[in-house]
Amino acid sequence: MLSNLTKNNLAIDMNNVWLSYDNINYVLNGITLSIKKSINYTIIGHSGSGKSTLLKIINGLLTPSKGTIKVFGIIPDHQNRKFKNLMKNIGYIPQSLGLVKNITVLDNVLIGALTRINKIKSFFKIVPDVEIDNAQNAIKMVGLEDKTEKKVFTLSGGEKRRVAIARALVQKPILLLADEIVSELDHVTSKEIMNLIIETQHKLNLTSVMIHHDIKLALDYADMISVLQKGQKILEIGVDGNTITEFDVTKNQLAKL
Amino acid sequence: MLNYKINLIIGLLITAIIYSYLNLNIEPLKFISGISNLLIIFQEIKNIEYSLLLIALTSMMETIQMAFLGTIFGSVIAFPLSIFASRNLTNKYLYLTTRCFLAVVRTFPSILWAILFVIVVGLGPFAGVLSITLYTIGFITKLQYESIEAIDFEIINNIRSIGISKLQLIRYVIIPESAPHLLSQLLYTFDYNVRHTSIMGLVGAGGIGFYIINYIKFFEYEKALIFMLVVLVTVIIIDLLSVKIRDNYIIKIIKSKK
Repeated sequence: MLSNLTKNNLAIDMNNVWLSYDNINYVLNGITLSIKKSINYTIIGHSGSGKSTLLKIINGLLTPSKGTIKVFGIIPDHQNRKFKNLMKNIGYIPQSLGLVKNITVLDNVLIGALTRINKIKSFFKIVPDVEIDNAQNAIKMVGLEDKTEKKVFTLSGGEKRRVAIARALVQKPILLLADEIVSELDHVTSKEIMNLIIETQHKLNLTSVMIHHDIKLALDYADMISVLQKGQKILEIGVDGNTITEFDVTKNQLAKL
Repeated sequence: MLNYKINLIIGLLITAIIYSYLNLNIEPLKFISGISNLLIIFQEIKNIEYSLLLIALTSMMETIQMAFLGTIFGSVIAFPLSIFASRNLTNKYLYLTTRCFLAVVRTFPSILWAILFVIVVGLGPFAGVLSITLYTIGFITKLQYESIEAIDFEIINNIRSIGISKLQLIRYVIIPESAPHLLSQLLYTFDYNVRHTSIMGLVGAGGIGFYIINYIKFFEYEKALIFMLVVLVTVIIIDLLSVKIRDNYIIKIIKSKK
């Protein structure tokens, strides 16, 4: 058993989580994860291994069939007021990015700040100057300041990902969840995006849980990696410098897996 | 199995055509022999009364105004209704109630509603505007809730997980994502409403139709003709304009998205 002290250090505490959509086939088979605060935790695995499902459980879009999960000590449930408060500070970037195509970059980023703005006022697009400044800073952080007024559907794939990151940043996140954010991108752009995420992560001291299907990317950026296969965690490793700490293997050896 | 099904469907279709044909006394020969009757009308038109052009144009203007107001009023009411009628935004009870209301509205054609509104508010354009409004509500709401329900479920879900309110979701996601369709739907509805308003006068609900039906009733075809020509030209102009607007604005937006 973990002591209370270490428990408080955990961003995500997942214990023997099972999930099934039809009560017959299980997408997740008894996953246990302990993710410490302020680290980059990366999950890799083939498609259909349950990676995206795991992420959706963390932000409460799905509820586990069995097992328990706590995110910053709160059970993820969209009906729970405490978790609703936490949700405002969880930046979730799904694989499809979830951007609104017909509005500008600035408006998309402002969506991340809406929870702090009066409902009625925001309906008429009356947004406090502070929040516009926040949004513009986030846009600057991801390097899109010259595209602020562009509609999202005119942007390239890499730029759209930057918008999604900026929207997550405006939420003032303590946790960032990103589902295959650099897949389908070319090598140079994906490096840029990953560097941007790691940089902001250190700057804001936030925890991030990411999904990749490229193991090399995971090895370059993650502090911890777990490998999923058919809904089971088959390997969990800590990455430190060039060697994998908890297992006595080098990066090259792991890359051959 | 598939072939058997297709054969059955084709068989039923042919039976339906033959049955309806016989049941309705369709006689193509009657059409061919009777077409000369139309010529009699044209023979009676010796001199077109251009003096009526001004009246025709003003009554056409009234018709367009009625269609315009009906389209605007109808779509203003239709938008909130379409949100209530979307399965992905509201609960079962609200959307079922809204859809029942829509079904009632769409059951009768607008000319029937016009008759009812003439009884309520009396003769004149107001009854016509009311009936066009009702037609627009039924039509736009249906198209809108369908395009709202077609918005990517993932986008809505993801943005909801930020924790924003429903009102904010509607303002920042639903409206922008369904608006490009709304514009072309409005254009189409206006186009259609102008044609429909032209016959509202038949039941006394205002507009140019009033003159046409009365001149025809009293066999003054040369007078009716000038009014019909004005309708024809107006409809053609509106049609051309809406094609132009669609090409220049709406198609461009949709194309650049791909």
